[in-house]
Amino acid sequence: MGVTIQVERLTKRFGSMTAVDAIDFAVGDHEFFSLVGPSGCGKTTTLRCVAGLETADEGRIGIKGTTVYASSERLDVPTHERAIGMVFQNYAVWPHMTVYQNVAYPLRLKNVPRADQQRRVGRVLEMLGMEALGERKPSQLSGGQQQRVALGRALVGEPDVLLLDEPLSNLDAKLREHMRVELKRIQRETGIPILYVTHDQLEALAMSDRIAVMNDGRIHQIASPVEIYEQPATKFVLDFIGSVNYLPAELVNADAERVTLRVLQGATLVLPRPGSVPDGREVLLAVRPEDMVLGQAIEGSDLHARVELRSFLGNLCEYRLRHGGHELRVQTEKDELVAEGSDVVVGVRRGYLLPRAAAQDVDARVS
Amino acid sequence: MTALRRLDSRLVLFLLIAAFVLVIVVYPLVQVLIRSLLHDGGWSLRNYEAVFGRPRNYVALWNSVWVSLAATALATAIGTLTAFVVQRTDVPFKGLLRFLLILPFAIPPLFAAMGWVQLAGPVGLLTKTWQSLTGASGAPWSIYGAGGIIFVLGITKYPFVFITVAGALQRMDASLEEAARTAGAGTGRIMRDITLPLVRPAILGGALLAFVSCIDNFGIPAVLGLRVQFQVLTTRIYEALTIPDLALATAMSMLLVVLAGVAVWLMGKFEGRRGEHQIIGGKSIRPHIIRLRHARPWVALALFAVAFVIVVLPLFALLVTALQPYYGAPLNAETITTRNFEAVLNSSAAQRGIRNSLTLAPIAATILVVVTALLAYLNVKAKVRGAKLLDGIGMMPFALPGSVIGVGMILAWSNPPVGPTLYGTLWILLVAYLMRYMAYGLRSCRASLMQIHDSLEEAASTSGASRLRTMRDVTLPLMRPGMIAAWVLIFISAYHELTVSALIWSARNETVGVWIFVMQDSGFPGRASALAVAILPIILIMFMITQWLSADRSAI
Repeated sequence: MGVTIQVERLTKRFGSMTAVDAIDFAVGDHEFFSLVGPSGCGKTTTLRCVAGLETADEGRIGIKGTTVYASSERLDVPTHERAIGMVFQNYAVWPHMTVYQNVAYPLRLKNVPRADQQRRVGRVLEMLGMEALGERKPSQLSGGQQQRVALGRALVGEPDVLLLDEPLSNLDAKLREHMRVELKRIQRETGIPILYVTHDQLEALAMSDRIAVMNDGRIHQIASPVEIYEQPATKFVLDFIGSVNYLPAELVNADAERVTLRVLQGATLVLPRPGSVPDGREVLLAVRPEDMVLGQAIEGSDLHARVELRSFLGNLCEYRLRHGGHELRVQTEKDELVAEGSDVVVGVRRGYLLPRAAAQDVDARVS
Repeated sequence: MTALRRLDSRLVLFLLIAAFVLVIVVYPLVQVLIRSLLHDGGWSLRNYEAVFGRPRNYVALWNSVWVSLAATALATAIGTLTAFVVQRTDVPFKGLLRFLLILPFAIPPLFAAMGWVQLAGPVGLLTKTWQSLTGASGAPWSIYGAGGIIFVLGITKYPFVFITVAGALQRMDASLEEAARTAGAGTGRIMRDITLPLVRPAILGGALLAFVSCIDNFGIPAVLGLRVQFQVLTTRIYEALTIPDLALATAMSMLLVVLAGVAVWLMGKFEGRRGEHQIIGGKSIRPHIIRLRHARPWVALALFAVAFVIVVLPLFALLVTALQPYYGAPLNAETITTRNFEAVLNSSAAQRGIRNSLTLAPIAATILVVVTALLAYLNVKAKVRGAKLLDGIGMMPFALPGSVIGVGMILAWSNPPVGPTLYGTLWILLVAYLMRYMAYGLRSCRASLMQIHDSLEEAASTSGASRLRTMRDVTLPLMRPGMIAAWVLIFISAYHELTVSALIWSARNETVGVWIFVMQDSGFPGRASALAVAILPIILIMFMITQWLSADRSAI
């Protein structure tokens, strides 16, 4: 697979603050690629640099083989000359133009003949289920409809790449879920590469072919959703993607298949050996809620805890347990419900081990 | 390469606009300041001494201050009360009431003064009604003098307070009051402890606007004060220029500037504090409405009565006077005459005045809208450094009393170091209007542009539009309603302007406002009223257009 977007050593500073710190990544020709991270991590700034709405301080950006930005050559192709389509967080649908006029605008700029315009706009509107709304004004549309207009406008010019800046954050939950599927379907149908920015890790996992997890201007890991989830590279990725419980522990024994740990006032836990085992006895055990089991007696564990809170989520059950001063989050299937207030034994099916010092270090390597 | 070219065109534009603002605004002001400190060719404070030395002058200064303060108090009371009733009760006909209560903005203060003379003067309609009812020979009031001036100023300037307070009440986050309610406070307590304190900056802001407008006004004290030797600064400056004692006029103008400056500085302090009172809520929760129940029709009646007295009555008096054969004549089917209308509209002088106003107003409006739109763009969107400063300079004349602008025009444009002598021509009036109303354009265009979210323009460039194309297809169409509103506002204001025009007009270069004033002042109230009535419809229609336009502006 070829590469559509190439970003090399991209750096952007605002005053004394470095928003984007020498990052590298590439988006393949038909790939759905997401930049994900908390507010202020630099993902939107990166996207805007690719779009040309911001000018970086250093680095190189290439779109479909053409260099559009290179600090070494003082090259910065203006936004309107880059073959991109962009959807903004607030849609930015022009209120003084109809839906048709909004979507047709990129074609109008390229002086596409009227008949062709109509054909192409019609096709895009149909693909988005908006054929009947061509003559409406944005003020007469719902948020979801406006968003689709923005999407149509970005696609109609058949750009080299589609850039999306948190497009789903203003939609209600049900619509967001629907649009997630829609966007993926459109991407598969058109084959257009997508660079997608979001702070919602669930969204990124659900939609992307590959994800770049960012924090503080740097990329922590670029990988497929499965790999990001199962083999997080750093503690930050472990924290940010999905949920995790941390338990300080003492490494008692480690062999080829299992590790034995002493946690929380002497309880013993045995779990399969994780990908990497740190040196030393003092470790930090990280376990995802769904990797824990509850029962009256669990093999390989004598960790007791009390169920404080139970949240029935319909398809799953979430528990908050307490052992001494520690709170544990556990997620189970709904088949066996445990009552609030009962004492249970907690087992661990799978976990990660980090050096104890990693408790304060988001950059600590995990696997 | 591209970046450099981009900067060039913006720089050129900026320099052109800077030159415009400097010549139109700064140069005359500097002239006034310098001349006030010159005497007999040398630096001296003698001019100011003359002001404080002669009773006529310092009494006028004192009168300006206390009359304006009293009028502002009256205006604040009316404005705040009506704003509360319209915004927070269930009084009917709110739309209509709101419109009627802002109407005084559209009526030239001169007309209001004339109307009230014709209502409550020695042979006024109300006076005569009173006399016939009570059999007295005089009236317990006099429209001439301080009392009349305070009254008419107060009832014509209250819309400043009404608009700011009603706006603040509307934007207020209702959850603040609801929280008080859940804490146990009743309506009265809430008004007192929550609503009023939160609205106080708006009340003060509106009051300051009204105050500046009061000390700036010429028409009302001229009609109601000159006749009984009651002077304020604006009328003294007018008289000084007829002597002509330019030095004195200049010194008094500077004092007016100081007065206005203090008021504006105070306004700036309150605007700054408004940050902590920033109460514009997120989700729009409707605020609690006070149910008037059986008082409802009475309150509505009272408001309509207020609007009637303030707006309709004086205009009605003007109409009556215009139709009378001579001032004070009984009006009935036999005595109605159109003689005044004929005399006025057929006189070549009046026609010339109308023609002049109809020429100057649209030209001023067009030039200003174009220049201020460009400056606002440089300031808000292109973020050219220095554009902000230019914007601030352009806003200054907003606070400047018209008399100062008039004097500034005379000093700047009779024998200027470079350029033609405009004094004595029609065009000095144009330059005066450009200076006076630049702030209207700046404010309106700036507000329009700030409502246009950056993403709307960015979406155009990601769609392939160059900067120029973006301006043409996205920015300009979205700015248009604001620009049109500014155009109409400037047109109306320049059309019936009096304060500045009265100081710088010359023979054959009269404006409509000047003409009406001169006729009224020379003892032809019938003709003055006829001309006033004749041009009023245009003004009212234009005003309704601005209201409709600003209401129509949907959030972008």
